[in-house]
Amino acid sequence: MPGSSPAFARPVTLRRTLACDLAGVRPAVQIVRAFLAEQGWGEGDLMSFDLALAEACNNAIEYAVGAGRDQPIMVEAVSDAMQVEFRIHDHTPGFDWPETLKLPSPESESGRGLWLIASLMNYAGYFRGRGGNILVLRKSRPSVAPPVKPRPEPERAGNAAEKDAIINDMVEELSSCYESLSAIFRYSGELGQTGSLQEFARRLLGDLLRILQADWFVLRLVPKDKLELAVFAASEPALELGPLTPAALAGEGRQPLELEAALTRQTVWFDAEKPPAPDDPLAKPGKGSAGMAHPILLGGRLIGTLTLGRRRTAGAVPARTGATFTAAQTNVVNTFADFLAIQIANARFQEEQLNQRLVAHELEIARNIQRSLLPATLPQVAGFSLAAFCRSAREVGGDFYDTLKLGEDALLLVIADVMGKGIPAAMFAAILRSLLRASPELTRQPSALLTRVNRLMCRELSDVDMFITAQVALVDGAARKITTASAGHCPLALAAARTVRGISPEGMPLGIKPDTIFEDETADLPENCRVLLYSDGLTETLDRGGKPFGQARLFNWLLQTAAGWQTAEKLKDELVAELDAHHAGAALRDDQTFLILCG
Amino acid sequence: MKMQILGDRLCISDVRELGTANADSFREQARAALTPAQKDIDVDLSQTLFVDSCGLGALISLHKTACSRQGALRLLHPAPPVLQILELTRMHRLFEIVKS
Repeated sequence: MPGSSPAFARPVTLRRTLACDLAGVRPAVQIVRAFLAEQGWGEGDLMSFDLALAEACNNAIEYAVGAGRDQPIMVEAVSDAMQVEFRIHDHTPGFDWPETLKLPSPESESGRGLWLIASLMNYAGYFRGRGGNILVLRKSRPSVAPPVKPRPEPERAGNAAEKDAIINDMVEELSSCYESLSAIFRYSGELGQTGSLQEFARRLLGDLLRILQADWFVLRLVPKDKLELAVFAASEPALELGPLTPAALAGEGRQPLELEAALTRQTVWFDAEKPPAPDDPLAKPGKGSAGMAHPILLGGRLIGTLTLGRRRTAGAVPARTGATFTAAQTNVVNTFADFLAIQIANARFQEEQLNQRLVAHELEIARNIQRSLLPATLPQVAGFSLAAFCRSAREVGGDFYDTLKLGEDALLLVIADVMGKGIPAAMFAAILRSLLRASPELTRQPSALLTRVNRLMCRELSDVDMFITAQVALVDGAARKITTASAGHCPLALAAARTVRGISPEGMPLGIKPDTIFEDETADLPENCRVLLYSDGLTETLDRGGKPFGQARLFNWLLQTAAGWQTAEKLKDELVAELDAHHAGAALRDDQTFLILCG
Repeated sequence: MKMQILGDRLCISDVRELGTANADSFREQARAALTPAQKDIDVDLSQTLFVDSCGLGALISLHKTACSRQGALRLLHPAPPVLQILELTRMHRLFEIVKS
């Protein structure tokens, strides 16, 4: 393995500068090739490097315009035990590296350069700076080592000035890399210890300002459920401005620059020559401020924008092209933004998990409350049988039923549906049950009972924008009569031998108006009658195609149960089977509750 | 670079490199050597050590020239690294390649 050879243990660097002239590319590439051959790279890899480097340098030269043609192109090759890294520095306006590289049509005579580079190397990254760009290419060593050759000294720069410039660049870049890495490692260690993502971001970006010698930053994020860029952290309170939406326009009809960076997914630069519009939030740091708005992406998804800038200092010339951030510094910003994007995505994921756990816990509590409200046993009256059913939907609604035996021959049946879900709905169901049972003098007058309960609960319900539909039915077994009152609930279904009808006295739901007057309606209970009190969860049960069970089907089912005398318990099982067959395993959207009386 | 006319065929050989620096002159010299009698073009790549995207562009251009004369371009005996580039860029589907 090359890695085990001391000859390749340390990274070795070669730097070459070449004039902005296509004729200089091949000789420079040949020098790099000879250097890498000495580092033990095999012939196949060397051929790949030849071509990738030639394509990269050709691109750098072909994109040079104006004064950029007078600037040299620098090629660096860093070879170590594991890989080789090339960095091609140019001084061109640069170009947009495509998100996906595709071969042009076979007949096309151009457009294969980037494809070749990406195909021949393991990694290709293009970093654009103001007045300069860096193309970084990497390729790993093959697993089988070529013959070991002695490691020569790297080629030295030609003259002292060039050497100094190179050393300065190296020092700056190494310093940036060291500080970036140490900041990221430091903050990685702190992850999970710091409670606030905002504080974490503020400190991380504070360090970034120091590394870049910048003055201010604004971090905007896209909230989970809104199409906007909202300030998440800023280096100073004055920069914590309002959210930006795609419709927002700064002065002169221009989009704010942060929004432009987000929408184009490209870094947007600003300086004295291209200043933000006066209404743009980035005008806030002051005239002559210069910097960049960088989109933060994770897996192709926009997370937000990170904007960094330097202020114009007193006496200094306004910031202009070339005076903001170099390509190496842009690379550092990119690294920090990637790191931050991962932390933000992780934090959001954890928050979502926590919320889901809390919701599940709340639903379990609500389910327990709901279960505790239901009577353990059902009272019976001579000549009648009674059965009840209550099935909670996954998100527990506020259905409940209650039964009270009033002497030997009478029963009070209650069914109610509290609008809402979870603990609040369960709590109001519990209050309703207590109030119904706390008025024994009114239990033989369903309408009076609802009037009293409504008056007592109305304010509390309306304060939280909730209401309850309820139905109270008094069964007089001796007289074979039923008296019912309804607070906006589903009609009570009464089936005799050949007829079925709904009884639905007037009455608004509880919690709408405190002075609502409810009405009683009394009906006879003939021999072999069936009475059904139910919640809308029955009629609104959906099949897999989204079709509801419906009231007509429910009433028809109740009518056809006339054949032969049946117990309420048996009819309950039949109705549950009907409902199950209808929804056929589809998720329940609402509780299903009913009381059935046969006599 | 050598060019030889054999009946209706132009044969190009002894091309050491075909890259950005010489692709234009390669194409122009080849076109200049063609008379109305030639419709096919053979490019002997056995001595060619390097071809880049511009070199490929020049070969595609000559392929179009041959096609316009109802002929074809053939690439003869490309060395393995050059063959690899032709295959990587799917050019082996466009050109007739005569292997050694």
